[in-house]
Amino acid sequence: MQYLPTTLLLTMLMVAMPVIANDIVPAPKQSRNVLIKNATVHTVSQGVLSNTDVLIENGKITAVGSHLDSTPTTAEINETQIVDASGKHLYPGLIALDTSLGLVEIDMSRPTVDKAEVGDINPHISAASAYNPDSELIPTIRYNGITHAQIVPSGEGLAGQSVVVNLDAWTIEDALTPSTAQFHVYWPQIKRMPEDDKEKIKVIEKNQDAINKLNIAFEDGYRYFLSDKAIGKDETSATHNLRWQAMLPLYQGKATLFAHADSVGQIEQVIALAKKYQFKLVIVGGYDAWRLASSLREVKASVIYPHTFSLPKRKDEPIDLPFKIPSLLTNAQIPFALGFSSDWDSRNLPYAAGYSAAYGLTPEQALKSVTLDAATLLGIDDLGAIAVGYRGSVVLSEGDILDPMTNKIEAMWIDGRQIDLNNRHQQLYQKYLKR
Amino acid sequence: MQINNKIIISCSIISSLVSQTIFAAPNPVTPVSKLTALTHAELIISPGKRLNNATLLIENNRIKAIIEQGDIPAAALQIDLTGYTIYPGFIDPFTDYGIEFEYPKLGLTRPVYDIKRIGGNAENGAIHSEKEWFNYVYPNKERAKDWINNGFTSVQTSKLDGIFRGTGVSLSLADKTANEVIYRARSQPFMAFDKGSSEQDYPNSLMGSIALIRQTFADANWYNQNKNKSVNGVTSSQVEFNIAFEQLDNLTEKPIVFETNNLNDLFRAANLLKEHKLSGYLLGNGQEYARISELKAFNYPLILPLNYPQAPEVATDDAEREVSLAELRHWERAATNPVVVANAELPFAFTQYGIKSDAFWPRLRQAIAQGLTEEKALAALTTQAAEMIGTAEFAGKLAPGYMADFVVTKGNIFKDGQIYSVWLQGQEQSINSLSQEQLLGDYQLSFNNFSLDLSLQKTEVKAGDSSIKGTLSSGERSISLTHIKLEDNGRLSFNADLSSAGIIGISRFTLWLGTDGIQGRMVDAQSRTTNVAGVTIVQSAATIKSAATAKSAMSATDQEHKQSTKVDISANLVSQLTFPNVAYGLSEAPKVEKLHIKNATLWTSDKQGILEHADLLMANGRIEKVGQQLSTPSGYQVLDATGKHLTAGIIDEHSHIAINGGTNEGTDAVTSEVRIGDIINPEDISIYRALAGGVTSAQLLHGSANPIGGQSQLIKMKWGESAEQLKFANAPASIKFALGENVKQSNWGEKFVQRFPQTRMGVKALFEETFDAALAYEKVLKAYDDLRSTDKKKAIAPRPSYRLQAVAEVLKQQRDVHIHSYVQSEILMFLRLAEAYRFKVQTFTHVLEGYKVASELAAHGAGASTFADWWAYKFEVYDAIPQNACLMQNKGVLTSINSDDYEMQRRLNQEAAKSMMYCDMSKEDAWNMVTINPAKQLRVDEFVGSLTPGKMADLVLWNAEPLSIYAKVTQAWVEGKRYFDRDQDQLAQQAVVNERAALIQKILNSDDKAKAGEKVTPLNEPQWHCDTQYNAWGHNHQGAQ
Repeated sequence: MQYLPTTLLLTMLMVAMPVIANDIVPAPKQSRNVLIKNATVHTVSQGVLSNTDVLIENGKITAVGSHLDSTPTTAEINETQIVDASGKHLYPGLIALDTSLGLVEIDMSRPTVDKAEVGDINPHISAASAYNPDSELIPTIRYNGITHAQIVPSGEGLAGQSVVVNLDAWTIEDALTPSTAQFHVYWPQIKRMPEDDKEKIKVIEKNQDAINKLNIAFEDGYRYFLSDKAIGKDETSATHNLRWQAMLPLYQGKATLFAHADSVGQIEQVIALAKKYQFKLVIVGGYDAWRLASSLREVKASVIYPHTFSLPKRKDEPIDLPFKIPSLLTNAQIPFALGFSSDWDSRNLPYAAGYSAAYGLTPEQALKSVTLDAATLLGIDDLGAIAVGYRGSVVLSEGDILDPMTNKIEAMWIDGRQIDLNNRHQQLYQKYLKR
Repeated sequence: MQINNKIIISCSIISSLVSQTIFAAPNPVTPVSKLTALTHAELIISPGKRLNNATLLIENNRIKAIIEQGDIPAAALQIDLTGYTIYPGFIDPFTDYGIEFEYPKLGLTRPVYDIKRIGGNAENGAIHSEKEWFNYVYPNKERAKDWINNGFTSVQTSKLDGIFRGTGVSLSLADKTANEVIYRARSQPFMAFDKGSSEQDYPNSLMGSIALIRQTFADANWYNQNKNKSVNGVTSSQVEFNIAFEQLDNLTEKPIVFETNNLNDLFRAANLLKEHKLSGYLLGNGQEYARISELKAFNYPLILPLNYPQAPEVATDDAEREVSLAELRHWERAATNPVVVANAELPFAFTQYGIKSDAFWPRLRQAIAQGLTEEKALAALTTQAAEMIGTAEFAGKLAPGYMADFVVTKGNIFKDGQIYSVWLQGQEQSINSLSQEQLLGDYQLSFNNFSLDLSLQKTEVKAGDSSIKGTLSSGERSISLTHIKLEDNGRLSFNADLSSAGIIGISRFTLWLGTDGIQGRMVDAQSRTTNVAGVTIVQSAATIKSAATAKSAMSATDQEHKQSTKVDISANLVSQLTFPNVAYGLSEAPKVEKLHIKNATLWTSDKQGILEHADLLMANGRIEKVGQQLSTPSGYQVLDATGKHLTAGIIDEHSHIAINGGTNEGTDAVTSEVRIGDIINPEDISIYRALAGGVTSAQLLHGSANPIGGQSQLIKMKWGESAEQLKFANAPASIKFALGENVKQSNWGEKFVQRFPQTRMGVKALFEETFDAALAYEKVLKAYDDLRSTDKKKAIAPRPSYRLQAVAEVLKQQRDVHIHSYVQSEILMFLRLAEAYRFKVQTFTHVLEGYKVASELAAHGAGASTFADWWAYKFEVYDAIPQNACLMQNKGVLTSINSDDYEMQRRLNQEAAKSMMYCDMSKEDAWNMVTINPAKQLRVDEFVGSLTPGKMADLVLWNAEPLSIYAKVTQAWVEGKRYFDRDQDQLAQQAVVNERAALIQKILNSDDKAKAGEKVTPLNEPQWHCDTQYNAWGHNHQGAQ
């Protein structure tokens, strides 16, 4: 009986919140333990557990099991927020890869866009410098169960570094989630081959020039790395260079190269590059990656596949190929996660995963591709699963988080902090319900 | 064979058609009648008529007689042509030979809404109907060779620029004055969709061109009916002079030569001509074989180019992936096009247009190898072509009185014969220029007492560029030739140091081809000249080197030798022919099914809601019965659908798929005359993909580049059917209007700040002004209509305007408005404006802030078709919310969810489900959002949108609840025909792979000649969106927005 008020309070809070809230305030650090009871727990790492409790303490999951509250002490009861999740589904918070959240507010309104720098050798710039945690877009992303996102600069060539953030923070510093350093290269490609022969040659040459330029940049970076290692031993070490200095972790094996490449040709070139410098490699795009299984496995590359909701890139391809590629990657034993290369639209990531399940992934694989697999390729080892030691970032849904027909997110915790699910859309909805 | 055995067919000269200029020479010359008798020749008099050993008697520029037996006039110069064949001269009906005119460049900076009008002509810069090209004929000896070398003696020509291109002229290729060569001064009018060099923005889309043609036909009709009317006793015309319209008078009397760029456009031209009851000669594009029966229904004669495509690049798998099956198929089948057209008994001629002239004969022989008969080929080159260019009375046959235009060949020109000479207006045209290929080979060269072997070979200097190298040799000794040069006059010169053979110093040779081989002279170091003669050594080289042979025929021969060893390849085609002829096309049209679908969950979209374990009967393309445990009538197939879900087909209120040539005529602010219905692309794979996503109908809308866009077209996804058959029969007329950022050109860049309107205030004013103009137009029309018929004859009729007519239809509630809109101010503005003009707005589309004015929308009775969750991509959608559909629905607005997107269209079921997630919409309501509700908005709910008996059997079977992310379409029917079946699709996927593999192997196994051809640039149009700014005629305006 003593638990009742807490449960009731939570329920009331959830129903009443949208009506009363007009400002969305980041949640404070977890102060009380959270015990989520009797949920169907999609652990991702250990399968699906029915009628299971999950305990979150100090931002971490400390217990997953049955009847975790069977013999609570009074102190525990007072310190614990208990959530009755009977008949509901608990998931790890979803991770949205390859987004430009916080870098773009309104894509067609230039002052609000900070996603792509000019030039093609910009390894020293980072999304962290521009990320706007107050973007109106972000609460709408959370609303669909996404707790973390990779914020990626776009552009040409070496476009900069991405960061991983939790989606409920006062500042970028609050938001940052430690992960492996991430460098992005957009491998050159011919976007539209002109009809005219002369123009065609020009375009091909231009593309090759861009590739050469990148290869030289990577070589220059490598030279800088060599001379950096030689500091103290050698008089000829290079002078300080911001760009190459920034890239050192890549050559030191401490960072990952995220290479945006879709076609066989692009991917093969990227693989050659990774082999040459022993880079940790993630292919972003990877439309043709399933055709290159052994070469990708050889360099231990993984793939971020963001094209589930796309048309076939080539006219004759099976009409459902983009839907099937995740299962083709699975069959090819290439580690991958799903991405959603977008800003506002990245809230639809869960449904891309769901649709991949309609086309060959198991529902468990689909969920893993937007949680644990994503965390793994970001070099984060405490996110993406519901298991002891993992961050207390979980999402409670009335239904299937991957299916908009039944999904309804009721609550979300990030590091044990219960997140306000209100957003611009809810606010306008509530406002106009009153009209 | 029917041969007239009587001797002389006497001659009657038809001189009236031919200008016989008596040249004003400085000294009077008595005209002398020149008689020439070409004796002992084989005469091909006309297709199918041949005389084996006869004499062609020519007097001056005419054929005087054909003498089979009997005396040849003594005065005639006799030329013995034993062993030669004479064909009537060939005729090319589609050229721009002899016209060296360019329209003046006005140098205007874009955007150009109006052009400077020079002369009393049309207001659009692409209309040149006033041009009569005989005025500009200037015979060009050099260019004429392109045709003459292939045996052509006359052509039809016109400036090939603009939409209305003016009237062509038929003329001889003879090297004479313009007056002498003109055969028919005013032959056929020329037209095209491409606006050519016009600097005016309008039209920048294909549908704009079609609309402009339609308006111009109407204008011309009006002008010519009214120009001579006198009103109130005023005698001079009160109709503003317009020579462009004047020249379009009596258009019905002459077939229009219509150039198009692709097969879809060919059908568009045919439809347009048919609509106006005009006849035409359509320039083919080489793919007529793909839809021949559809083409046969029009029965317009065709002018066929022989543009066979280059083999697609398949040497690497990377390159191969970018090649479509359609391209691969066309490479294999291009040469079958003429025989397919011939078999369909469509009249046709050939043109050299679009290919290099030396490719003409090799291509034609390929077509013959595919089964085209020589008789049909000859008819196409002669009688058919003469018919088309209006010279059939005196050209195209060997007959007395006909022009002495003919071709002398050695051997059968359709097999391996070579052109010996070409006669134009009775004058033999000697063809001097020789190509390298003709000279190459080995000769035994004799001079003085020497006998040396001369060997001439081609060397590749670099790819595509060759020169000649050669040696003179005797036994083991060999001397390289230096300074080898092929001169323009066909002479080959080279130097050789023959010291080792006893001729001291460098000797200089000049050689040319003679009747029996090679001849010429040698100049030695002492400047002594010695005659040189050479006979060819190798037999094949001898064939190549017979005298004075047209160069194109030569290379043709070369190819023929390689080809003749092959069997008829038509038996070996590995490609399929499907409808449409692209990957996943259907090999045969699906049939209307009589079907009993058993034990499914029926999402009826009507008042019955969702029925479990229910049955549906369909027949004759209709839903017959819905209920539980129905019995199977005899003759019905049973489909056990246990565990599956059956729904009405999804209807998309807003789509831009299956369109060619631009979705926006985004030039003028009002373009209500353009019609999406004119530019349906039935070959778009998007149709098939949409079906696979359960979509059976979609409204194809004009874009949102201007406030009053174009007329919409509702289609059904009848994959494989023609553009006309895709159209939803009996759908109400509708039009796209637009508001907001797009129409005020907010995101078009700095240049676009001139066109009114630039604000939402101006948008309203523009609508008001246009509505008023339309009302005034209606009033004038009515006033004229109300006149008594005698008065009508006198009064000047109002000038027709398709633009205002379409707007007037809106005001009369005869054309539904689907208006692109976002923010509440503009929505409310337009509601009130419509109310002021007393019409109902049928549907607001997008309407992302509809939720803010939901009660106003409901009160007006307007529908709302919105996105499930799009927002934030531009400023005017910053207040868009995914609960929009719920809020509007709750206030009683008829609401639907649309895609406006190629990809999302195939997942509209998922989009509908989002309202369940965001705002607790019921399953039934959510499903109605993509079925019955859009059907009502499009006012076709009496036909489609629900599983109601009597409606069309547009059905979709799903493997799971259709609103679930896990649902997939297993079958889709349109009007009872199964156009999509997932099992079939799996088979088709494999079939595509296999067919590609076979065609790729065929290309890889082919020799270079079979791979050669025109560079093909597949129509590379973008995906259309509301705001796609596309210039269909972009080759003229680089950097166009």
